[in-house]
Amino acid sequence: MIGIFVVSVENTDFRTTTKWIYVVATVLALVGLTDALYLTIQHLSGSSVPCSVTGGCEEVLTSSYAVLAGIPLAGIGAAAYFSAFSLSILAAFGYRSAAKLLLPLVGTMVLVSVWLFYLQAAVIRAFCQFCLLSAGITIALAIVVFLAWKKGS
Amino acid sequence: MKRLLPFIIILGVLGVAVGAVVYMSRPKTVGNSPASAANSTAQARPSPAPTLGPVKTGVPGADPPHTLGPATAPVRIEEFGDFECPPCGAFHPILKQMRQEYGDKLFITFRENPLPIHDHAIPAASAAEAAGMQGKFWEMHALIFEHQNDWKLAFDVRPIFEGYAKQIGLDVERFKHDSTSDRVEQRIFLDGKRARSLGVNSTPTVFINDREVPFQLLPPETLRVLIDNELRAASQK
Repeated sequence: MIGIFVVSVENTDFRTTTKWIYVVATVLALVGLTDALYLTIQHLSGSSVPCSVTGGCEEVLTSSYAVLAGIPLAGIGAAAYFSAFSLSILAAFGYRSAAKLLLPLVGTMVLVSVWLFYLQAAVIRAFCQFCLLSAGITIALAIVVFLAWKKGS
Repeated sequence: MKRLLPFIIILGVLGVAVGAVVYMSRPKTVGNSPASAANSTAQARPSPAPTLGPVKTGVPGADPPHTLGPATAPVRIEEFGDFECPPCGAFHPILKQMRQEYGDKLFITFRENPLPIHDHAIPAASAAEAAGMQGKFWEMHALIFEHQNDWKLAFDVRPIFEGYAKQIGLDVERFKHDSTSDRVEQRIFLDGKRARSLGVNSTPTVFINDREVPFQLLPPETLRVLIDNELRAASQK
């Protein structure tokens, strides 16, 4: 669906540096997608997630906040990262409308990440390293996308 | 072709992602599960009314106990478990599922009740307790249960549990020392003492708000009814 929308507004007149920034965003989104997919698979298979750094994965990932309307939150995260990946790669190939859609998407992801960080810190009182990694990737993605938008505009 | 390339990559990544989720998220099955045992019982005779036993308090167990959720939660679930017993292994994902569904409405406690018929039950309980001394009881508890089939037939389980300790980031030398410490032994003894005082003679034995849950009511669908009943009763108080 994203593809249908952006095909009509293709513009190949993108500067090379901006394209490379979107390549970086694509790689970041792919790392985030892998992280979210791992958590989704562990959730669906009922396996525990070993937490060697922060030690709170079991508490966080089995809390009531790990599921939203019957859907694992990690799955929603995977969908968001997949959308970010798709839009970033399209932007890297010069589809300017994909670049425009990427900014609000990543902005929303940052807001959700902040909310999830708050839940871990103040409500659940435990941290899951894979969730922190995801938050870090989202923030890095936001910085990269913002830079690309500044350069492109 | 260049126009189509990003779409091909996107479809490729989508295919790999969906394939990985479908292939790798198949639930691991454990035989002798309370769910299957109860289902077969349920098919043999009319489904039992979801009722709990009388209120029992017993003597205190190890202090502090290993708990999840707020102590003020309206539903307190206390499990007496043996890490080597297959139905306990099968009950582990059920309790995990309940925690996901009910969240902060549940206060879950795990009590050690290693049965003498299981060779590795005490080393497993000691490993979980030793991990607890480094603040990672629940991580070790989950690993031991989820890999039950990997260690229960082993001759020497200590290196396997030390591997788990390393995996969850414990100080392995301290873990090895704590596993055989008096404190760990004392905790297991105190939990066992509590189990005896409550008349627990099999595992998993589960109490909801101090009332024993009959074994056949441990599958998620009946457990849910019991939890809902307790929540309803708590809201009417």
